[in-house]
Amino acid sequence: MSDLPELDLEPRVAAMLPPWTEIMQYIRKSPKRQTVEVLRAAAARGRPVVQPRCGVGGHGEMRTLLTTLEQRGRPDILTITIDSFTRLKQFRSAAQTLQRDPAGLNGYPLVTHGWRRGRELNELVDAPIEVRHGSPDPRELFAVALASGFTSFEGGGIDYNLPYSKDVPLARSLAAWAQVDRLCGVLAETGVIVDRELFGTLTAVLVPPSVSLAVCLLEARAASLAGVRCLSVAYPQGGEVHQDIAALRSIPVLARRYLPEHVEVFPVLHEFMGVFPRDPDVADALILYGGLTARLGGAAKVINKTNQEARGIPDAEANVAGIRTTALACTDLLDFVRVDEATVEEETYWLQREVAELVEPVLAAPDLSAAIVEAFTDGRLDIPFSASVHARSEVIPKRDSTGAIRYLGAGRLPFSRPTLRRNEQCLRVDRASLSGRLIDEIRSDINFFVQAETRSQAARLATRAAPTRSAVTGPGGAR
Amino acid sequence: MTSRNTQRTVIIGVARSDAHAVANHLIAMRLREAGFLVVNLGVCTPLEEFAEALSAHPDAEAVLIGSLNGHAYEDLADLPALRAAGRLHCPVIVGGNLSVGSHKDGDERERLLRLGVDHILDDADQIPLLLDLLHAARVTPLTGV
Repeated sequence: MSDLPELDLEPRVAAMLPPWTEIMQYIRKSPKRQTVEVLRAAAARGRPVVQPRCGVGGHGEMRTLLTTLEQRGRPDILTITIDSFTRLKQFRSAAQTLQRDPAGLNGYPLVTHGWRRGRELNELVDAPIEVRHGSPDPRELFAVALASGFTSFEGGGIDYNLPYSKDVPLARSLAAWAQVDRLCGVLAETGVIVDRELFGTLTAVLVPPSVSLAVCLLEARAASLAGVRCLSVAYPQGGEVHQDIAALRSIPVLARRYLPEHVEVFPVLHEFMGVFPRDPDVADALILYGGLTARLGGAAKVINKTNQEARGIPDAEANVAGIRTTALACTDLLDFVRVDEATVEEETYWLQREVAELVEPVLAAPDLSAAIVEAFTDGRLDIPFSASVHARSEVIPKRDSTGAIRYLGAGRLPFSRPTLRRNEQCLRVDRASLSGRLIDEIRSDINFFVQAETRSQAARLATRAAPTRSAVTGPGGAR
Repeated sequence: MTSRNTQRTVIIGVARSDAHAVANHLIAMRLREAGFLVVNLGVCTPLEEFAEALSAHPDAEAVLIGSLNGHAYEDLADLPALRAAGRLHCPVIVGGNLSVGSHKDGDERERLLRLGVDHILDDADQIPLLLDLLHAARVTPLTGV
């Protein structure tokens, strides 16, 4: 029976865990650098560290994957991505699939493999490992992660519920995550700092930056009240560089404004999470752009994509290339790149104002968790394209002519007149003529980078077709 | 704003085994914009839940089911049984990506129609037009439909 403080666990999982004192001892005597130290160093240096996603079903295959990525990509932090069965606590299904067809799992079933194998993975590589998943109730997974020595754990009661589950009440996911965060508080008091990363990426499709930041700040406040000392706030690259830089640079500012002083907060960028270009060269360019955005925005960490993104889960080779391309963008190679700081400043002002209008009414309530639930029920908090019925998804995002993500419809979000007017002005849309094409327009916003790819291919074809050009290039020159 | 008594209602959702949320939300937006009261059951919705929603909203003009993962036929296999039990009696419209793989030979459409699906759409932008046609037919019944 497990004696982990604060955590109520399924007896079957609890029975397999080592005693709490043994877990503490293992973590304390680990010679490895902890994630929090890696992030501190990155923040001090002003250059983001790179972390890939990776997870396969079989233990041997997972060992090979982690070793290959470490040896060939040299990321600063590694990942174990967890399979869908484990995310939903379907441990029996995970075990059955693992036995029958490990390759059929879309991640590593850590609870099924157990903490001994977890420790084996932990000791196998130099880089600290983060557990990434998507569980509305992660308690068993967190217990096994901790027993394995992993002190970096992604997710929160909003961001790992609404994009991933159809019908888990927010009150339930928030309560489950509060137990995880309270255990992190207990650990912090003994000097073990768990990096708790919040998934501001949400549904990954046209997420308005203020929605992403507002959700993370509310989760961050709940986590810090529960005792968490180290938070990574992840923001998804939207694709318009000034807006993305404004969002990343706002993370520490908003943290100082809304979170207790003793909490360390690290901005994280997820390289573009939407529909990816199919051409590997164009995909590589987008990956480089992501790394550059992370550096310009002052992120401490960037999660890389791969040039096989359009085709599904990447192989190790593509992941290594993605890590290296991203890392290249974070070196001084591209230090000459400047952006228009006045535009960033203007974005920053409006973004922080939107966030304030979203979070301040919720933070003013006496019971934060209840206030979050109520706000989502009423639509005063909302996310676009929710998989869950517990968010209204009345928010309609739309790109403006620069590619920045705005609110075409703010649903019931409590925005002021000036905020709504500013979004309106940026979009400058004729609503009457738009309504008939709404689905097409938003679909084309979602396919932003695929369309850029198509345009660039068309431009190259046109160049090749032009007679003067082909004469210059010569036969076979433009193949 | 249309008055509550006259607002037209539709029930929409995504088939049982399918978790694609984006198109579902876009269609809901589009229909709300057009003035419909949209009862959106969201992703991974079994046919039984569409039937329950229709009992709760008996004035709904149609049930719209999206299916993008190629399992439309399997997901809708209960339709004849539900219809035989006197349920899901309004027009059932299915759209999306109807069969696994890129090869579409029309066979999948035939099979869905035989199951009792009333209309199959390839383009979500056709939905308001089809609903208007069905609405007009309901107000002024056509013969031989």
